[in-house]
This record gives sequence, structure tokens and C-alpha cells, in this order.
Amino acid sequence: MAKAPPITNRIRELRESHGAMSQAALAEAIGVTRQTVIAIELGKYSPSLESAFRIARVFDLGIEDVFGWQPPPLS
Amino acid sequence: MSLQMGLKDISFREKTAWAMVIVLIAGGFFYFDKVVSLSRATGETAPPIIGFVIAYVILIVIASVIVMTVLSVAAGKEADQPADEREKIISDKAGNWSSYVLTVPALGALWHYSVSMDGNMLFHLIFLSLMLSQIFEYVFQIFLYRRGV
Repeated sequence: MAKAPPITNRIRELRESHGAMSQAALAEAIGVTRQTVIAIELGKYSPSLESAFRIARVFDLGIEDVFGWQPPPLS
Repeated sequence: MSLQMGLKDISFREKTAWAMVIVLIAGGFFYFDKVVSLSRATGETAPPIIGFVIAYVILIVIASVIVMTVLSVAAGKEADQPADEREKIISDKAGNWSSYVLTVPALGALWHYSVSMDGNMLFHLIFLSLMLSQIFEYVFQIFLYRRGV
């Protein structure tokens, strides 16, 4: 299992609060496949900055309202 | 999760990778089965036979076309879409990793030749390296699709 990236997101929650928007609809809105949206939601893929902005715009939010960053603990 | 649901969540390009792994492994068995049989019959390493190589290439091309046609029809609109950013990264990484799969056995083949001076074996080992590299490119793609990038 790959180490989860330190990027967190609220995409699933936001989809549900936006009229239960489907993963396919979000994928089409930002120009990726549905499987890529699934991978982003599951934390298996961190989107490019451009895609992150596109996702934020779909929900009419700022990028940090959708994505978070959990820096690795300092050793 | 049902099989149907599971298949629905596999992208067109991942399905393609699975299919190509099967096609290439089958093609490899076809080729090396003939080479091994001929080697056993003659008691020495079979020489490179261009007919086997051409038959292998034709088999792979025909099987690939059939598989891609079936998958494209089943995928519908999705098959027409260009690779997205994640798929491009997966393709690039898998291609990079598979280059090592080509290099290591090829170096082994050259070392084997320097020891045995068996040019026929050198040909078959280099050809095997090419096959393995191609197979592993798709295997690595599947791995990255499953594990995440």
C-alpha cells in the first residue's frame, strides 16, 4: 500500500451537499475520468494544482476549503 | 461488491492493461513453446527462426486489435477520451520502471553470451527481455491503478 499523501480533501462531503452530485458529473466538470475522482476521494492520488482549482470552482469555494495539508510529523 | 460493480469501477485503460498482459503472456508461451520444442528435438539451442517471430507479431497484433475493439465497444464514450493527468503519470511511471525490466535480462543475456558464445541463446534471451519489458509495463500500470500514484 502506498503511503497516503499528506493532502486531505472534502470532495465526497461537498458532492453530497451539492445535490448529491455524482462522481461522473464532477469528473466531467473538471476533465478527468470518474476513476480519477474516486482515486482523489480515497487519497490514492493528489490532483494537479489546476485540477484542484477546477474542483474548488465547481463547488464555488476556495482551494483550501476543499483541500487540506497535513505535514508529516517532525522527527 | 458485485463483479459488475467492480468492473464498472475499473477504467477503460486499466481493463486494456489487464487484457494486454493476458495477450502478451499467451503470445510469449506460443513463441517459446515452439523454440523449446525445436531445441529439444535438435538437442541444441534452436536458431532464430524468422517465421516464429513473424507469427508471434501477427498473433499479438490480431489479438490486440480484437481485444481493443471489444473493450472500446463495451466502454463506449470513455474509450474516445484522451488519458487524463493520473493516467498519464501512471503510463510514464510504468514505462520508466519497465525499462529496468528490459535492461537487467538483456545484460544477463550479454553476460551469458560472453561465457557460452551461444548466439542463438543470445537472440532468444534478448527477445525474452523485450517480451518481459512489454508485459511488465502493463503489470506496473495495473499495480499503480490499484495501489494509487
